[in-house]
Amino acid sequence: MRRQSRVGFVLTLCIAVSLFPACKKTEEPKAAPPAAAAPQAAAPFAVKSIDLGNAVGADKKINAPTTTFKPADTIFVSILSDGTSPKVILAARWSFEDGQVVNESSQTIAPTGPAATEFHIAKPDGWPAGKYKIEVAANGAPAGTREFTVVD
Amino acid sequence: MADEKPKPNFSNVQSGGSSTAPPPKPAAGDAPPTRTYTVVAGDSLSKIAKHFYGDANQWKRIFEANRDIIKNPDLIKPGQTLKIPEK
Repeated sequence: MRRQSRVGFVLTLCIAVSLFPACKKTEEPKAAPPAAAAPQAAAPFAVKSIDLGNAVGADKKINAPTTTFKPADTIFVSILSDGTSPKVILAARWSFEDGQVVNESSQTIAPTGPAATEFHIAKPDGWPAGKYKIEVAANGAPAGTREFTVVD
Repeated sequence: MADEKPKPNFSNVQSGGSSTAPPPKPAAGDAPPTRTYTVVAGDSLSKIAKHFYGDANQWKRIFEANRDIIKNPDLIKPGQTLKIPEK
């Protein structure tokens, strides 16, 4: 009889515990999953270098850099850039000694990373000897200037 | 009075350019972009095709896009501005 009472007491206690959630062992809060690596913001477009030469490769980079040209040369400038942009207007303005404009041209690109953009000029009857300058602009903002010389 | 040096004539300067970067995507309603190239001395359609497409055999694409100004694919002239179809 005494044994039955004890069993009954234990059963009652178990039922009571199961009915009152507050008595349950509280679960430790699960650690929050590590945050997924935030995607890195794309780097903005930037001109890295401006190189001159008399030939470019298929990669639009200057093969043989020089700043001294012959009158019959085609003169190339290669603009190396990095960064992403949906639209960049690269402009090249070539001028002679006193600022006389030789040529102006532009290209519109949508770079998605490292890029090379070349401009070139040629003069069938030969370049006059003297000092020249090329100014490069990206979206209207000056990006760099290079000077070069044509010698007979 | 010192003689003033005559200014050189740059009116016959030929220019061109190209890029490894793609052209911008056209906005809805925009006409498809067309690259152009100004022929310089020593150019041929094969050479231009190699320059833009990396494959000289693609010269026919440039020829077809410029039928209005090129009658003979073996004869292109410095100063001609050619339409370069996108890849």
